[in-house]
Amino acid sequence: MVGRPLDESELIRRAQRGDTHAYEELVHAYQGIAFRTAYVIARNAGDAEEAAQDGFVKAWRALARFREGAPFRPWLLHIVANEARNRRRSAGRRANLVLRAATSEPSGDAAPSPEASVLSHEQHGALLAAIEKLPEDQRLVLALRYFLDLSEHEVAETLGVPQGTVKSRTARALERLRESYD
Amino acid sequence: MTELERALVTLGNELEYPQTPDLWPGVRERLGSDRRRVRPQLLAAAALVALAVAIAFAVTPARSAILRFFHLGAATVERVDTLPPAQQRSLVSGLGPALARPTVHVPGSLRVRSYYSRPGLAAALLRYRGKPVLYAVLDGDQMGIAKKFADSETRVEPVALGEFGLWLEGGRHVLQWGSGRVETRLAGNVLLWLRRGKTYRLEGDFLRSQMLDLARQITL
Repeated sequence: MVGRPLDESELIRRAQRGDTHAYEELVHAYQGIAFRTAYVIARNAGDAEEAAQDGFVKAWRALARFREGAPFRPWLLHIVANEARNRRRSAGRRANLVLRAATSEPSGDAAPSPEASVLSHEQHGALLAAIEKLPEDQRLVLALRYFLDLSEHEVAETLGVPQGTVKSRTARALERLRESYD
Repeated sequence: MTELERALVTLGNELEYPQTPDLWPGVRERLGSDRRRVRPQLLAAAALVALAVAIAFAVTPARSAILRFFHLGAATVERVDTLPPAQQRSLVSGLGPALARPTVHVPGSLRVRSYYSRPGLAAALLRYRGKPVLYAVLDGDQMGIAKKFADSETRVEPVALGEFGLWLEGGRHVLQWGSGRVETRLAGNVLLWLRRGKTYRLEGDFLRSQMLDLARQITL
């Protein structure tokens, strides 16, 4: 049977009715961001995989409560983030500097993009080290907002805090980074 | 965005994450046990609603089978353990020769490819959204259609249409036109509804919302 590609809301409606094929499409669409979100929280690939998988299973079971028309991604990431936090708490450890800067060299004659020219590779390392020294709540806000490109609203939903809290944590984090980085 | 924020975005693009694993196999395995637990409940709920409003309720003496078998106007829907033998056939298989004269009323906005007629049943093969759809109207409450499904993927849901409606979607179903010579074939997604003593049926490769739109065009 050949059909048109289904939009997200239709996939969600189908999944709510028990259609696992529709849910498979949702899992494949969001497993990347779910895994990375879990990873920046849990700081361990194995824990992140378990957290993301458990998050998708719990999201499936909670689909009946998902409000039609609401954005799916932050709703899902909130569940995944809770799973990742639980694992991190239970593991009782925090890996040092798990986020690593890529080591790829600029290629041939390609001119560096304006973004790439903002900082050198060494400066990236220094900035990353400064981020690692931030309190956990501030570090997470920065990681979700700037590394994973979530909107302020999505960060708030994911962490289960008011949007104003995200704003204030971001401002404090940026201020501390400026102090330590400048 | 400040220079520091731009630097954070750039840094984010250059971070090295572990490769994202394919999470679906593990998720699917765990959903399988959920589905086996939930599906009978959903089917039972749909069946109970159907039973409450069905015009005629023809069950076998075995009351224990009540949730596996329900009746909607001239149609019966039955959940079976094993599907009877059936083949993929044309939507109009078993309906006899195509007729030029109209046998059912179809709004002028819809394109009719052919009409069909059998005792107690009139039908038209329509073209809708570029795909074929079979529209049938059955008289009375005697068995005119038997629908059997066994696939765990099949969904049976009540819909707000006419006096009562049902939507069947998902896995393979077997359809039998019940009057006269029995024809059996595999069937696609189906919308069934009752209105003013008649049983209406639409079958085709469409979403529930699309089929409901078509049904409302036909019966309004």
